[in-house]
Amino acid sequence: MTEIKQNEITKYIVISSDIVLPADAAMKIYESEFPVIVKETCFGLIVTGPEEDVLAVVEKIQQMDKNHIFIKERGFPAGDERRCRASRGGGPRPGFHFLREEVKMLPAIGAALDELEANESVKEKRKEKSRLKVSDLEKLIEEELAR
Amino acid sequence: MAKVFIYPVNSLILSDLVERFEHIPLTMMNQVKEKVTNISLDSPPINITPEDPKIGLRYAAVEVPAGVRGRMALIGPLIEKTEAAIIVENPPANFGCVGCNRTNELMKYLVRDKGVPILEVKYPESNDDARDFVNQIAAFLKSLPKENQESDGLPKEDKKPVEEKPAEKGAEE
Amino acid sequence: MSADESGLVKIALVSCGSEYAGVQPEFEAAAAKVNAKFIYPEIDIASIDTIGKEFGLEVASGDLRLMMARAKAVVEGTTKVDGVFITTCFRCAEGAIVRNEVRRYIHKHSDIPVISYSFTERTSAGTLLTRLEALTTIARRRHLLAREVQTGLTGGIDSGSTTTKAVVMRDNKIIGKGWVPTTKVLESAEEAYSQALKEAGVAREEIQALGTTGYGRFLVGDHFKAQLIQEEITVNSKGAVYLADRQKGSATVIDIGGMDNKAISVEDGIPGMFTMGGICAGASGRFFEMISKRLGVDITELGALAVKGMHENVNMNSYCIVFGIQSLVNSLARGATPEDVAAAACYSVVEQIYEQQLQEVDVKEPLILVGGSSLIEGVPKALGDLLKIDVLVPENSHLIGAVGAALLASGYVGE
Repeated sequence: MTEIKQNEITKYIVISSDIVLPADAAMKIYESEFPVIVKETCFGLIVTGPEEDVLAVVEKIQQMDKNHIFIKERGFPAGDERRCRASRGGGPRPGFHFLREEVKMLPAIGAALDELEANESVKEKRKEKSRLKVSDLEKLIEEELAR
Repeated sequence: MAKVFIYPVNSLILSDLVERFEHIPLTMMNQVKEKVTNISLDSPPINITPEDPKIGLRYAAVEVPAGVRGRMALIGPLIEKTEAAIIVENPPANFGCVGCNRTNELMKYLVRDKGVPILEVKYPESNDDARDFVNQIAAFLKSLPKENQESDGLPKEDKKPVEEKPAEKGAEE
Repeated sequence: MSADESGLVKIALVSCGSEYAGVQPEFEAAAAKVNAKFIYPEIDIASIDTIGKEFGLEVASGDLRLMMARAKAVVEGTTKVDGVFITTCFRCAEGAIVRNEVRRYIHKHSDIPVISYSFTERTSAGTLLTRLEALTTIARRRHLLAREVQTGLTGGIDSGSTTTKAVVMRDNKIIGKGWVPTTKVLESAEEAYSQALKEAGVAREEIQALGTTGYGRFLVGDHFKAQLIQEEITVNSKGAVYLADRQKGSATVIDIGGMDNKAISVEDGIPGMFTMGGICAGASGRFFEMISKRLGVDITELGALAVKGMHENVNMNSYCIVFGIQSLVNSLARGATPEDVAAAACYSVVEQIYEQQLQEVDVKEPLILVGGSSLIEGVPKALGDLLKIDVLVPENSHLIGAVGAALLASGYVGE
């Protein structure tokens, strides 16, 4: 059973970087000797520990590639058996699926943050798609049928 | 720093962006943490007990299903703290705490009903979309007041963040 | 894949909202009691986007789409399970639609037993226990449930909420019967069993195996050192198809008990889908008892009275037993005949069963009506009228639990 302490927090560090690998980030934490628990996952790391230590670690890791390392709070501590696949009986925890979807979008978000930082001019907004008005659709149908 | 409600309430991207632009994201994760680290409770997996749907009665009537009210027991307190909100339309894969669309409709309604500044954006589907998405969110977050807000979670009644709409401005820091 | 007699039974939990309604620990507790474990079937996340179209049911809530995907994983055998428990929040329309269709889908495409249930925050482990026990029995004891012929000299006791029934059987024949009101569980069981033994003319020591079922099954089973202690869903469906001589193929069993009622969809004598309950005792034997008392007739005369009456002449709402009796009093005060009132009582009970329970199982003929209330002639008639099908009431239909127990117990003869 994972021991849970009230004053501890857990952060998810999601790494979408070309220059930092989850293993590098984990190594950096191990070297830093912060009293935190680190768990490597397919997306990055889960870090659990006293609040100030976790915040410091997260800050340190994010600086490795600021716009391509993303942070999210996590409700459950690393390795909590209530959310562990093995003890739950197969099937990932529910939040996992959405996280996976968001991770796919991270390279684009990272690129956008880079641009923002480089103060590039904001690209003009593309015209939004909208539903065809019924009258326009009617006109189109008539035109098509008349052919 | 403004307390910013995000929808989906468990979003990595939104929660990261809000913090990145120096505000406080109001997230489900924090609510879950409060629950699961409460040692006096033992109702796995997320320590929601039959008492929670009763707490949820504050936000939804008794004929509303228990799953909605139980979720609202977690989300309702976030809405009460909300000083600004970012709502993403059509997010993919909504499960777990956002797995019930009725709850999602209710929470979005309650947030909109508060009259706080709200940014409503579409979930990006391409790189171009992502750029618009990030720019809009960045501009919105920058428009929110950084100072003067109490940190005790209680918004001042008569004080609202300055701009109702995100400014169409450049992305400088 | 099936679990062995004592082994852990794997039940796929296909649910929406249970973690957020505070009932998940109750589910887990009920499962643990019957040595079952919930499994969350693995799914391919990409399938979530298309599952609605594939299933033909597009819903807004992600967790409901997840239910469909999990059902698919079970049917396709990606995740191996012995049973499926489908559950959503009570009062959620979207959830109810998905729950029903997922249940049908699994039943149609596999022979994995399924139960479906809608919960509130008040749902307790106790409520679920009998259901999960039945589910695990079907998984563990398929070979036992396959028994079609009673052999040797066996006994069966059905300790019900209202009456206690007992039978003694020898070589596939009922040779002794006992039927007494339940007062003290053990005393009533003793009395009913003694009646049956006496009629059979055999001594208690001669009985080769005994089975018990019903609410008091554990207490009675321990007391008599029964070989088989089994919940009433599997036992009653077995007893029903045995007594009706419909052991092969499909059948639907409706059991109107003293306090609750059950609808069970049976295939080759094995329950596939079932529901238990009813909103209130308004659809139970207890309601008939109260009606009889108010009409001043014996409960055995109520049926004959009902057959002569017209239910249309009396407006009776028996969703609640209290309001049901109130309608009865009002009707009598307005001059309704006892015949019409009796007919209306029968109709209102079957109407409630139809509205509440038959929606949860697929009704396939023959429809076998059992339980004490089936002896009230007005009940099968009203059910037949409502469903427009012939209702089969086998001989000794009130004894199905005891007969089913004696039949299944003969599996232990000579062991």
